Parts: sequence; C-alpha cells; structure tokens
Amino acid sequence: MANSASGHGHVHHWETSVAPLLIVGGVLFLVVFGFIGWFSYNSAMLAIVSAGIGTPLLLAGIAKWTGEALTHKPLVEGLSPIALPIFIVSEVFIFLSLFAAYWTMRLSAGPDWPPAGTPTNMNLRLPIIMTVILVASSLTYHVAEVKLEHNDRGGFITWVLISVVLGAVFLACTVYEYSHLMHMKFSPSTNAYSSIFYSITGFHASHVLVGLGAFLTVMLAAVKGLTNQYLAFCVGLYWHFVDIVWFFVASQVYYW
Amino acid sequence: MSTASSGFKLSEWIFTTDHKRIGILYLIGSIAAFAVAGIMALLIRIEQMSPGATIVSDVYTGGEQYNVWLYFHGAAMILGFLIPGLTGFAANYLIPLMIGAKDVAFPRINALSVWLFWAGIVLALLTFVVPDKPDVMWTGYPPYSIKTGGNLALYVFTVHLIGFSSILASVNFLVTIIYMRAPGMGWMQLNMFIWGCFTALIIQLVFVPVLAAAVTLLLFDRYLGTHFYDPANGGDVLLYQNLFWFYSHPAVYVIFLPAMGIFYEIYATMAKNRIFNYKAAVYGMIGIVLVSGEVWVHHLYYSGMPDWIRIGQMVTTLLISVPVGLMTISLFGTLYRGAITFNIPMYYGVAALYLLLIGGLTGIPLAMTVMSVHLGETSFVHAHFHFIMGIFAAFSVFAAVDFWFPKISGRMLHEGRAKIGFWLNFIGVNVTFWPLFIIGVDGMPRRYWDYSQFPAYFGNYHKVATIGAFIVATGMIITISNWLLSAVSGAKASNNPWGSKSLEWTHTETPPGPGNFPQDVVLDGNWSPYNYSK
Repeated sequence: MANSASGHGHVHHWETSVAPLLIVGGVLFLVVFGFIGWFSYNSAMLAIVSAGIGTPLLLAGIAKWTGEALTHKPLVEGLSPIALPIFIVSEVFIFLSLFAAYWTMRLSAGPDWPPAGTPTNMNLRLPIIMTVILVASSLTYHVAEVKLEHNDRGGFITWVLISVVLGAVFLACTVYEYSHLMHMKFSPSTNAYSSIFYSITGFHASHVLVGLGAFLTVMLAAVKGLTNQYLAFCVGLYWHFVDIVWFFVASQVYYW
Repeated sequence: MSTASSGFKLSEWIFTTDHKRIGILYLIGSIAAFAVAGIMALLIRIEQMSPGATIVSDVYTGGEQYNVWLYFHGAAMILGFLIPGLTGFAANYLIPLMIGAKDVAFPRINALSVWLFWAGIVLALLTFVVPDKPDVMWTGYPPYSIKTGGNLALYVFTVHLIGFSSILASVNFLVTIIYMRAPGMGWMQLNMFIWGCFTALIIQLVFVPVLAAAVTLLLFDRYLGTHFYDPANGGDVLLYQNLFWFYSHPAVYVIFLPAMGIFYEIYATMAKNRIFNYKAAVYGMIGIVLVSGEVWVHHLYYSGMPDWIRIGQMVTTLLISVPVGLMTISLFGTLYRGAITFNIPMYYGVAALYLLLIGGLTGIPLAMTVMSVHLGETSFVHAHFHFIMGIFAAFSVFAAVDFWFPKISGRMLHEGRAKIGFWLNFIGVNVTFWPLFIIGVDGMPRRYWDYSQFPAYFGNYHKVATIGAFIVATGMIITISNWLLSAVSGAKASNNPWGSKSLEWTHTETPPGPGNFPQDVVLDGNWSPYNYSK
C-alpha cells in the first residue's frame, strides 16, 4: 500500500513544496507583524502593509497546499482521520485552560458575580437559537458526507453549501450580539466577566471561522471535481468538535 | 514539484519536505539560537563579576538591560535550542530512519513546523532591533510583564509560533510512530530514542496548548485591557503562574526524555550491549508522562498556596525520582559487561551520568517545601536546573550530533578537536556552576545584577563562575567549528562505522538519500536494535 506507484517503493528525488513556507510567511506578516504594528507601535500603516503582504501569501499557500493534498498520493493513505483527533486533544486543552481561568475567577468571586458593569438584561434567547443553528449545521454536513459516500458530488456540494450558510448565520449572530453588548458599554475591558466572555466566545467563533474556511475549501475543490473522503471526514470531525465545544461555552458562559 | 538529486540546490532545501533536511534546518536554527543565547549568558556573567554595575550603563536603567539578557538567554535556550534541538532536529532526522519509514506521516506539515520555528527565531532576534526590547524573562510573569515598557507581543508571538510548531510536530510524529513502523517492528522492539520521543511528544501535545492559552491571555491583558491577571478587577495573578508552570514543568521532561533516549543509543552501541532492563526503562518513561502534569506547584511553593496542595505536590515531585531512577539504572546497567569503545559520544555520555547525578540530587531538597522556601529563589536553584536541564540536555544534543555525524554528513568527526572541545565544556560548566551552588546556599539571590548589599565574598565566587563561562565559550567555539570543518574535510565515513544494530545504520546509505532505504525494511520478531549477542 505504501507508495506502490514508484517501482520498488523507492523515492528517487527530494520532495519539495512551496506551500508551507508561503503559509508561515503569511502568518508572520498578517497575524504577528499586523498585531505588533497595530497594538505595540500604534501604526495603522505598519499593520495594513503587513496584512497586505501576509494575506496573499497565506491564501496562496492554502490554495497550493489543498491542491497538492488532493492530487498527490501520500506515503501511507488514510492517516489524516487519525491525526486530526490527536490534534483535537491539544485544542481541548486550550479550551480547558480558558475554562480554568473562568472557573478560577468565578469561584474566587463568590456571590459578587457577575461583577459590576455586566448588563442585567443579557439576551439569553440568542444562544439557544445559535445552538440550534450549529447542531443543524452538523447534521447537514453529515448529510453531505453521506452524499459523498454515494458518489453524489452535486448533492455533496449542495449540502456543504447549506452548512456554510448555517455557519455564517451563527457568526452573524455573534457579530450582532457583540455589537449589541458593546453598545451597552460591555466591552472586553469592562470587568472580569467581560474579559472571559469575549475570550471564550471569540475563541470559539474563530474556530467556527476556520471550520467555514475548511467547508469552502472542500466545496470549491468538489466544484472543480476533486474530492477526498479523508479530507471530507476530517472537516466534518473538526466541525462536530466545534459544535460540542459550543455546548460547554453556552452552558458555562451564558447560563451558569 | 520535484527534481532529481544532484549537487546542492537552494530551492531543494528551503522548500524541502524531506525529514532529514528538515532535521538539519532545525539543527542550524537551534545552534544559531544557542550561540546568541550563549553570548547573552556571557554578558550576564561579566555583569556579575563585580557586586555593582560592571557593564550595564548605570544604576537606573541597568536592570532593564540586564533583564533583556536574561529574557533572551532563557527564552532562546529553552524554546529556541533545547526543545527544537531534541524534538526538532534529533526526532526529525532519526525517527523515520529508526522505524524503517520513508518519511513522516505528513511531510508538508513537517515543513510547516520547521518554518514556524524559524519564524519564532526571527521574532526572538527582533529583540535586538526594536527600541522596546522584551525584558520579561522567559516566564513573562504578570503584573511586571503587563506594566513594563518592553514589547510583550514579541515574547508572546515567539511562544505562539514555536508552540504551534511543536503541537504540529507532536501530531505528525505520534502518527508516524504508531502507523509507519516497518512491518514486524513491535512496540517492545523500538529504539529507546523512539520511546523517549514518543513519551515527550505526548507531553508536548497536551501541555503546550496550556502555555499558548496562558500567554494569549497575557497579550489580551496588555493590549486589549482585559482583567485575567488583574486582582483589582476580579482577575487572579497566580492564575498565570499556574497555567505557565502547568506547561513549563512538563517541558523539562519534553527535553529530558529524548535526551535520555540519545544516551541509551550511544551507550548500547558503544558498549555493544543490550539495554539493561529495557521494559523497566520504557515503563519509567511512561511513568514520567503520568506524573508530569501533577508536579508544577513546586514552582509556586512561596507564592501563597494552601498547604495541602504544597504537600501533595511535594510528594508527586519526589515521586518523579522513581521513574527517573529506573531509567538511570537501565542506562548505567547497559555498560555492565559491555565491550566499551570510549570515543567522543561516550565522553558526553559518561559526563551525562555525572550531570544527572548532581542535578538530580540537588533537586531533592528543592522538591521539599521546607528546604525550597530557603533555596528556591537563590542561585542554588539556578545551578540545579542548569545541571539537570541545561547542560545535561545540551550535552545530549552535542552527543547526538557527534554520534550521528557520520550518517548525517557522510564524514567522520575529528576526534582530537572534539575531545578538546569536550574537556573545555565539561570543566567550564563545573567551574561555572559549583560556585553558584555554594553561594546559593549562603543566600545569593537569582536574577540580581547588583548584589552589593550581600556579603563581599560572593563577588569572588561570581568571578570564578565567569571564568568558567568563558572556558565553556572557548569549548563551544572549538566544538562547533570542528563540526563545520569535519563536515567539509573529514575522512569519508562507511555506512555503519560504529557497528550498530539499529536500522538507521544497518539499512541505509551514508548519508541516506531520498526515501531513506534502498530496499523496503521488513523485520521479524527476533530483530532488535540492541541485538549484539549474535
């Protein structure tokens, strides 16, 4: 099974790929230098130039990477569905650290929770709607996977698109909620609760964003005729993980 | 996409996805970090030669200059040299070769890891360019790190980049070790180095994210005005220390386990002997993984912890000596009735036993709360962790380069120059750190550049320590230039100059080409990398 394509299983050339270096360059400029320019040196110019350099590098890198991943045969096939759960272990620990920070603050505050500055009329219906949307998107993506198993590429694209729309609606709800709360003078720097509220929900939302990017990647590849069951499975697994984390976020941050 | 291999092509190196070349890229980056961090150490030592200001500009801003040196020395040595030198360079180069695989499971992710690490190195080096140099040690404790004028974002993003690189590498290598072993290679036939990496990478996978979260919240506190570590607004300043050491104590084992793995390989090969009590040593490594997450509070003994936590974690900290003891006995026992070749990798190997002994024994009083309250913030602890973590692990990297030098470069290392380098290094570290043990017991605090309020004789010990640091610097210049010289002009090496039984020597060419093995490796139940009796 391993590399049976090339004669006696021996590789005769040094393998190369431009994609990893492009992505690192993109991250370094867009995220790191962008942040440092904006926050450390209060220079919008530096931040915009960095983001301007970093964004095309990052996108080019991701496009190149996806193209290679869908067209090249790996040494051993089918390892990514094993690697992703291992990676998710480390994701779990990031979320656990954030929750540990929250629980530490929450428990040491005792009855003085939520601290002064927290609006008394937080919208507690919206998270329920968001939960329903996210669970629905997990289900629609599952339908997409079933379609792919039956070699129904058109059905796959349709159902991934529905999942993308649901995910985007979820993010729109987050944006709406944030702007509403900011309007009520509840910003990240208001108090301990606002710090943790924006950090945990924001970190979760960033995962939703990455998940949407992954959806778009497999969808656009499928439109071009390229599908890969392992990649589709990994994207789904990641999305279900994001879904499950949301139960903890909603129950701990909103309703406790 | 790819081209035939003939001669040196730059594009084949910077775009490479081959694990051997990525390993060498890790080595170059980590030695560069080591060199710059070493210069910082020399600056620190020169400053401490006299009680007051020696080379810092004046009493008012001197502390800031000194803090920048401490920051860079600590951050670059640990995040830039030791961890990438072991789980970057050594793991990359050796894991696929030792398990009989053509490459790692995800070669592109591997390339992503090495360039994320290099991006971290570049960011760390920006320290010397920016006006607001980071000055937060490698620990970045709030509230100082939030209030200082130094650039905290550089520190945080350095941790992020190298941390993300480590997490990706962990996933990659864990999958590689589990699924890409040669047919017939069982778990109890693995090289000890593979076990060392396997256990270290599990620790890395689980604990690095916690550090990433801790420094991210630090970043938010500093730049977005959040209140995680701000007690005045409901935050908790000790939260950072807990999260930080929850990762950073296990980080010691991320370094220790592969380092021990390297010495096992050297001992077994040079003694032409089996690993003494192989299974006990493996269980010792697994034991370290199990206990590693439950010892971090010994870094916070004097930070205001309830007694029941301090005593509980004192017990777990002392418990670590059980698996470490199993591993050390295995290492020592491997020499028993062996036919020992005493060459340069073995010099480092034997020195490592001594460093393990001194570093380990001085750790016992530090694990005990009553002793630690007295010794914890003195140069005693400084000397202790340099012995066990700094020098032991650095020697393992040097030993790894020396031992696998013929395989990596295709040429033999010049033994004479390497031995001069070794003796200078070994004598130098002892001259540096024994005085610090002694004045540490007498109360010399860590991290002070101005110790003029302490007894005057401390100055004499510091002068000796500074001489020691320059002996090490000389030794390292000889060691590194010997690597470079030998890689270019050393005698051609055969495929297996040490007569090892391990796959990277027996089944590959020197140096190994693309795809590693001319023939697919298939093993049987009797194969062992330490089967020297036949």
